Amino acid sequence: MIIGATLLVGATVVVLGACLLLVLLVVAVRARRHARLQRDAVLLSPLRMPLITVASGEDDDGSAADELRRATGATRDVLDRNVVAMLSKIRGVPADQLVQVLEEHGAVELAAAELTSRSTVKRARAAQLLGLARAGHAVPLLVEALGDEAVEVRNSAAYALGLIGDPVAAGPVLAAIGAPERGLPAATAAEALQSMGVGISDVLRDGMADANARTRMVAAHLSAERSFTRGLPELRQLLDHDPDLTVRETSATAIGRLGRGEDVDILVRHTAEADPLALRRACVVALGELGETRAVPALTALLDDSDPRLAELAATALLTMGPDGTAALVGHEDDPAVRTARLLVSLQKASA
Amino acid sequence: MSAPAGGPDASPVRILVADDDADIRDLVEFKLTQAGYAVEAVPDGVSAWEAFEASPPQLAVLDVMMPGLSGIDVLRKIRESEFGAVPVLLLSAKSRDSDVDTGFAVGADDYVIKPFSPRELLHRVNGMLARAR
Repeated sequence: MIIGATLLVGATVVVLGACLLLVLLVVAVRARRHARLQRDAVLLSPLRMPLITVASGEDDDGSAADELRRATGATRDVLDRNVVAMLSKIRGVPADQLVQVLEEHGAVELAAAELTSRSTVKRARAAQLLGLARAGHAVPLLVEALGDEAVEVRNSAAYALGLIGDPVAAGPVLAAIGAPERGLPAATAAEALQSMGVGISDVLRDGMADANARTRMVAAHLSAERSFTRGLPELRQLLDHDPDLTVRETSATAIGRLGRGEDVDILVRHTAEADPLALRRACVVALGELGETRAVPALTALLDDSDPRLAELAATALLTMGPDGTAALVGHEDDPAVRTARLLVSLQKASA
Repeated sequence: MSAPAGGPDASPVRILVADDDADIRDLVEFKLTQAGYAVEAVPDGVSAWEAFEASPPQLAVLDVMMPGLSGIDVLRKIRESEFGAVPVLLLSAKSRDSDVDTGFAVGADDYVIKPFSPRELLHRVNGMLARAR
């Protein structure tokens, strides 16, 4: 009994001691961080006004930028961190002037070297700086960083390549989505590719033949986003034959946005009951988006579909097709699908 | 690039700037002040609404994502107030079409996406004030 009580007291003391240590550790870390922030604020203080002057585009005689350039030692390090933070908030001539300050401080060159640092944080920050500084010469290094072991660095490199916007990087960014073990999130890659101009259309066409389904999906999606009609033959192939349902749905949506009159047939074909429901729905929406009145008979037939949502989408598509589409709804006014579609369309119009 | 004057003897046009990011708050304040406006800059939505109520400005530049009251919340309050016609420019990192749509639907007169050009922001402010006259 006494031994049990002693053990209990001992265990309680140990737990309380561990809690106390943890609290002390948290307090120490916070105090250190606070002290560092205070020190940084003191170091930056004399340069805060020149920084704001340059960032706001009011440094007409270049004197504020000169003051920033003259910073040395720890002050320069703190200033450069603040300049990088500022670069994520502004664009235009002031941003270019701040990049020049970073270049003269050697920060851009240092960042290129730090892409191979052992520290993940340093590699990710280096990639970010190179992107914000629009360091075109660092594109090959950033492309290499797309295969980094740390996902933070891969994301940061893709983000940087998007900011630089050189279409040379489009192929590697798209390929990085499907890299085994070290893949790039599809959304990150898509965002980076969005910024790379019209020079990426061929890369997207090649991407639609990639072995990786996520790569094909991003390529199909971006082809529509960027209105690359040259990719239509590949999109039709994907809709007809791709083994991945999401890729087929994405292709249907893309055809709806980019397609021509002749694409009514392929979309109608995949509204048949033999196709997966998600694909049928995507094709119906795409037909509405395409707006070809030749699709009216097929859409009208779908008003009686066994899937209520598909019937509703068909009614919505018809309502967006002008007089021909509206005429097809005569006799169906009391169908629940048509009533819901009318309500949704009127709500959309009201909120537009 | 000076501010539209209210007349030789008129007091400067007053603009309220609200942003929780000190960098942006300071540089917008500096840019507009250099252009001849009288700027009151505050760090959050609650302070923005208090400042607006205490002395309604001729224009407000509001960040969308702020602690407490968001820029959208402040904009709603402005539109419901007796000074609901004050032009409001939303400044935000939220760049999706739906975000911009929401801003205009609530009653914003303009929407600038971060990262932004300070020069362009000034042009827009000048234009809004000119149209408001």
